[in-house]
Amino acid sequence: MTLISFVIVVIALLGEVGGQIVLKHAMELSNANGFRSRKFLFLFSAGILLMTVKFFLNLGLLQLYDLSFIYPFQGLCVIMIALAAAVLLREKLNLQLAVGSALISAGIVLVSLS
Amino acid sequence: MQNRPTGLANPWLHLALSVAGVTVYELLLKLGARETAHISDRWAWTGISGLASIYTWIAIVFVIFSLVTWLYVLRYIPLSLAFPISQAVHVLIPLCSWIFLGEVIISLRWCGIALVTLGLAVVAKPVARLEERL
Repeated sequence: MTLISFVIVVIALLGEVGGQIVLKHAMELSNANGFRSRKFLFLFSAGILLMTVKFFLNLGLLQLYDLSFIYPFQGLCVIMIALAAAVLLREKLNLQLAVGSALISAGIVLVSLS
Repeated sequence: MQNRPTGLANPWLHLALSVAGVTVYELLLKLGARETAHISDRWAWTGISGLASIYTWIAIVFVIFSLVTWLYVLRYIPLSLAFPISQAVHVLIPLCSWIFLGEVIISLRWCGIALVTLGLAVVAKPVARLEERL
């Protein structure tokens, strides 16, 4: 994997994490205020935009690497979303989450080496 | 997770549909990418040239399907619970790419995928217990 490919993987991951957090927030807003509020439309559009960026970067990576090699990198999303959810959505982090995150990271290293 | 709908509107059913949709579209995207990899070396990293394949367009239909079902899931299930469960795709996609795309997965990569899966299970466990209490 080249440096530029690694950078694209990281940007794709950030697009996924940001998109999920923003879309979750938008859907929570829709429960309270419906689908027509300006804030919902803004957050929903931002979430879709982030997911679109991730989609095309992922497609570009698939042209260069095997699917079974690229896809496990998205396992990092679990750690990143857990951290983002803790900070932005105020969800609790615990030991089990930390252990699980470490296992995921170890697995990703193995996949990257193979 | 109050007032959770049942039957066909059950968000857990939609979560399963979303996972199935993601698995299908990833396989189709790989087929589309494989078919168009030769078109432009310079702009290959953007993925735009992948749109020249019919597989990519069918994949986009599944992307929209899985996105709509996922948005529905987000209305009713917390992200910290729904997201780890959605990671079942990490098992389904390598298995399907091995079976249907004929990709070679060496033992070290299988170990990595297994570790990722184990980690996902450990992460998902506390939130699964939380769900039982709700």
